[in-house]
Amino acid sequence: MKINTTLAVEAGDILGALRRFLADFLEKHIVDVLLVPQEIAQGRSLVQTLVQDPAYLSRANPLSPVMPVNSAVLVAQLTVDKPQRKVGAVLRSCEIRALIELAKLRQANLENLTIIGIDCLGTYEVADYARLTDEMEGEKGARVVAELQRRIAEDGAEPFPIPLRPACQMCEFPTTGGADITLGLIGVEDGILVTLESELAAKLGLTEGEAPDREKAIAKLVEVRSGARDRAFAEFRQQTKSITEFADQFATCIGCHNYAVACPICFCKECFFHTATFEPESERYFRWAERAGALRMPTEILLFQLTRLNHMVASCVGCGLCESACPSKLPLTVIFRAVGEGVQKMLRYVPGRSLEDELPLATFKEEGFPVV
Amino acid sequence: MAEFEPRIIAFLCNWCAYQGADLAGTSHLEYPPNVRIIRLMCSGAIDPVYIINALLTGADGVLIGGCHLGTCHYQNGNYKAQRRVDILRNILHQVGFAEDRVWLRWIDASEGQLFASTIREMVNELKAKEPNPLRHPWEVWQGSNWGP
Repeated sequence: MKINTTLAVEAGDILGALRRFLADFLEKHIVDVLLVPQEIAQGRSLVQTLVQDPAYLSRANPLSPVMPVNSAVLVAQLTVDKPQRKVGAVLRSCEIRALIELAKLRQANLENLTIIGIDCLGTYEVADYARLTDEMEGEKGARVVAELQRRIAEDGAEPFPIPLRPACQMCEFPTTGGADITLGLIGVEDGILVTLESELAAKLGLTEGEAPDREKAIAKLVEVRSGARDRAFAEFRQQTKSITEFADQFATCIGCHNYAVACPICFCKECFFHTATFEPESERYFRWAERAGALRMPTEILLFQLTRLNHMVASCVGCGLCESACPSKLPLTVIFRAVGEGVQKMLRYVPGRSLEDELPLATFKEEGFPVV
Repeated sequence: MAEFEPRIIAFLCNWCAYQGADLAGTSHLEYPPNVRIIRLMCSGAIDPVYIINALLTGADGVLIGGCHLGTCHYQNGNYKAQRRVDILRNILHQVGFAEDRVWLRWIDASEGQLFASTIREMVNELKAKEPNPLRHPWEVWQGSNWGP
């Protein structure tokens, strides 16, 4: 049975409380290794670290709003060959949902994994976050977290004068599902709300406490974000009435394929687009140019985008790292999420919701789907 | 507008639709010559990339021909094709491309008649439409005027 308890925070040191809580997992051998974000370069950025010795948790900071990588990819690397070790990972909602998809795609194994899910109010672009912290003195991570806390408490506007990543502005998943332990911040006034199995709580020396009513606070945030999402989707659909208009949106695409590297769902070891199929002999180019009058080069911009939509959009969890990786800042989050919504509705599939939901491309039923 | 001759790329399964096309030929059945056939070992072997490539390079229609459900030579390849084509058509619709240019049909090796009538029907329907806008890709790439 899951119980709620509140982690005590002394003198506003929320990170200290979290670090002690996480160290307990290693010291009490609940996990052998822990994947957790830590501050580097005096808090200018954060990286994921795989910690074995609890003494090395001194810069752990799972709360700072920056996400250089979707850690589902890292957890997949750590678990795909079914290790004997017990792995723990502190993850945001989009990371957990991507991980569930990867597990169903047989790229990750969740058997020996303990997921610690954490509330996420949204993240900044890595470069924006570095600029933000450059202007701060002292403990930068702690100051950012304190600002976030203040915002949660006061229910105020964005605390910093830089925008959240576009994906986060329209994310309707501030809290996590599918985690073994959840750490709640939204709607919690003092401390951190911990929800976990009673057995595990006993091992950690935690006793059941009061659960604050945080439904309202969460619902309010979700409402704002869903509204932004719906407006963005409507705008995309308004602007995409013909294939010409769709092509227009990729006018500034430089064909770097970065976003396929950043995407947690794009798991192929060798992308089809990087194979010899796309290195034809020169004569073919001349023939194509002859037939069409002129050939756009490099040739596969729209083919790549449309193919990638086909390959991964059923499992797109909307983490938006595609857009963060795009040097031309194409509105990839909206494109993939909006098109994804259409496909996922047709397939009656919610990516990342549960291991029980069968992957639509791996299950075959008699009936097709009404396409439109 | 003067009637145009649509170009159709047909991806046909070796075990059924391709044999059906063969039967249509050996039976001297008439059907329009607008179709270029590519033989596959199974309709389930088709990745959407090949269908999209055909459309982006100006094919007016793409036909995927597979075995009737339950009769796949490899047990479930046609179910895979069905699911993939459903997703592809859904996406094409959403990005403003007429998804009814992509046809998925189950045609058995003994159904030469059905193959011929499918091609006739497809050519007629495509003739009623405009040519694929991507026949002239440069016009597409030059863009529309939807923005401010």
